[in-house]
Amino acid sequence: MARYQGWFAFVLALAIAAGMFLIRTPLQLGLDLRGGSQLTVQVQPAGDVKVVGDREMEAVKAVLDRRVNGLGVAESTLQTVGTDQLVLQLPGEQDPTAAARVLGDTALLEFRAQREGTEAEFRSLRQLQSQARAILQLRKDQRRRGETPDELNLEDLKDVQESLGLNADGASDDELLQALLDQADDELLTLLNPAQLTGKQLVTAGRQPLQNNPNSWEVTLNFDAEGAEAFADLTQSIAGSDRLLAITLDNKLISAASVGPQFKSAGISGGAATISGNFDAETARELEVKLRGGSLPLPVEVVEVRTIGPTLGAENIRRSLMAALSGLALVAVFMVVAYRLPGAVAVAALSLYALFNLSVYALIPVTLTLPGIAGFILSIGMAVDANVLIFERIKDELRRGNTLIRSIDTGFSEAFSSILDGHLTTLISCAALFFLGTGLVKGFAATLGIGVLLSLFTALTCTRTLLRFLMGYAGLRRPTYFIAQGQRPSTIP
Amino acid sequence: MAMSTPNTTVVLRLPLSASRGRVWLVSGLTMLVALGGLISCWLNPDIAAPLRPGLDFTGGTQIQLERDCGESCRDLKSIAVSSIVQSLSLPVEEDDPVPNLRSARVQLLDGGQSLVQRVPTLTAAQGQALIAAVEPIAGPFVAGGQSVDTIGPSLGRQLLRSTLISLVVAFSGIALYISFRYDGRYAFLALVALAHDVLIVSGVFAWLGLLMQLEVDSLFAVALLTIAGYSVNDTVVVFDRIRERARDGAGLGLSEQVDQAVSATLTRTLYTSGTTLLPLLALIFFGGATLYWFAIALALGVVVGSWSSIALAPSLLTLWEPRAEV
Repeated sequence: MARYQGWFAFVLALAIAAGMFLIRTPLQLGLDLRGGSQLTVQVQPAGDVKVVGDREMEAVKAVLDRRVNGLGVAESTLQTVGTDQLVLQLPGEQDPTAAARVLGDTALLEFRAQREGTEAEFRSLRQLQSQARAILQLRKDQRRRGETPDELNLEDLKDVQESLGLNADGASDDELLQALLDQADDELLTLLNPAQLTGKQLVTAGRQPLQNNPNSWEVTLNFDAEGAEAFADLTQSIAGSDRLLAITLDNKLISAASVGPQFKSAGISGGAATISGNFDAETARELEVKLRGGSLPLPVEVVEVRTIGPTLGAENIRRSLMAALSGLALVAVFMVVAYRLPGAVAVAALSLYALFNLSVYALIPVTLTLPGIAGFILSIGMAVDANVLIFERIKDELRRGNTLIRSIDTGFSEAFSSILDGHLTTLISCAALFFLGTGLVKGFAATLGIGVLLSLFTALTCTRTLLRFLMGYAGLRRPTYFIAQGQRPSTIP
Repeated sequence: MAMSTPNTTVVLRLPLSASRGRVWLVSGLTMLVALGGLISCWLNPDIAAPLRPGLDFTGGTQIQLERDCGESCRDLKSIAVSSIVQSLSLPVEEDDPVPNLRSARVQLLDGGQSLVQRVPTLTAAQGQALIAAVEPIAGPFVAGGQSVDTIGPSLGRQLLRSTLISLVVAFSGIALYISFRYDGRYAFLALVALAHDVLIVSGVFAWLGLLMQLEVDSLFAVALLTIAGYSVNDTVVVFDRIRERARDGAGLGLSEQVDQAVSATLTRTLYTSGTTLLPLLALIFFGGATLYWFAIALALGVVVGSWSSIALAPSLLTLWEPRAEV
């Protein structure tokens, strides 16, 4: 009996440890449960690279990792899936378009000086762009509020169009404005000198709020030695003039800054610089992300976008939890009715099973998704099965007229081989599904596999320990606590 | 102890081998009906696949909206929503082709509380335009209660392929294990039972796809995998008993061994299916729309799986009985 007291203490200690651990370490919930966005991008072969291999994936992932970190979404994850895909998860992020843009850009970052004598044209084009953008935004807001956007004054636009050489007959107002923006972009590029400096020479980019005005931000740049020299030359050439230093990404102007006259003599040297002016936290972050991104070695395509609202996720959790708990409560009632004392012990062992299961999820960690929860509920079904097998065998032994303790021990050993076979076959398929499957299948296999392993442990150890421990009390050693009176041979007292 | 208590037991008995012909008839007919569903689906030009593939396999965009109903939901017909969606003209972006919304499908779930729309692949802006267009008749919507899924068509094929490969590996592993622990006959029959279960559940969903336009998604693939696992587990326990009978039931014919083993495990099989069904039924009735069909597939699998492990697989085993003893 002392042997079972020792085991009992061990199981109890394990349960307390698992409980403590679970309280300290929260479970990781999948996006389907807490809301957020998930993007899958596929890396495409291009140029000399005919097949996307591990090295290419590594390089793309490194660049994307930097860009994603720049998005500033807490707990975002970027994982390689299969041979040529990356899955990005952004918990809580409801607007996947921002992320898609950052991921999708095959960025070619260039620093270029404005050509001489283009000051006025440059200024008016940028002004035109900002006006067009403002009108587009206004119309979008109006539409969102359900209003019909104001008619555009086409007469005004006509002049601008003509000056840009645009022919936009029959286009809608929005298309017209967009065409205008694009045309202005192209025009702006013609006013720039060829690039002397590219993103390759940029080591890091950062951002910080201005000291005198915390609402205004600046973006910081750091170049390598070669880049520092080129940047000094570039800034010297335009220092103190009205000409701007332009930063282009994929041949689109993303920022333009003036260089103060104090840099006339040597340019901005030392390889560090700041870009300031009209940045709020958001726009500074966006520029920083673009700068840090550098160039993707291969183009990528977004093949899947999933967005789930936070309340939908919360509702899913609540409902699944309610369903699981009510189902399990019914199972508990059933076990006690069908098997009496051992049934009650099984309920205790199954509660331990659930506790261990959840703490293993927190330990590994397993991200809980809807299929994962389903796998969990199903593994409880298997854990119940193991107990049912054992208790049926105990009943068999009691029916044959064996003594109680003997019946319990025989019941466990007789049931062992079928429990082992059933669990091992399930484990084999879990392993195959986990290592070869993807996505949902993998998560499901993981939770089911963990469940099966733990079920082996709880059924064979916890149930047995608890049962034998209770048998240490003479008051509980009554066959009628195990089997209905009429089912035992009456000759055995 | 009452001495007069009759020494009878309430152990369930199943004279299986006597009625094995009927067992095979039931399983055979059910499988035929299932096969009929799969073939009809395949022949249906709209589907052209054994099951009606959902968004996960075909690619496209699915927009789910939770309606903010307050006390009760305003009456809404899915046809009213789909006619709006189908006649919608979407904002066009860059050089992308305009998505053809004629094939848009609208479904109401949870007694009209949520609205699911399946359309060809949309950009984020087009998705927002679509939501804005249906809001006047179906809204207001719960803020944050929407989900938008866009899936490229290549992803579904990959999922299907990787799932099939892992299934084949899993089955081979199981077959090897059973051949090692029992023998080849048992391994073969376990796989027959498994195929029987998976075929019937797939068949039911094929019919649902034909009659109710129900689509299968990757959750359905997960459900089939689970059914396969459950089926083997269930069958192996019965086999274990048969083997035990064969060892210590000296002098008994195979049919007798099988009958005794099945009777001995009958209570266990029914209890286990019952306890597995309970949480699944709870999921079906209270779990909400997301897991509804998943739970139904699993519940069906549990029922069919119990049948195949109690009745079909053991009765097939008696085929190996030497003719003289029958």
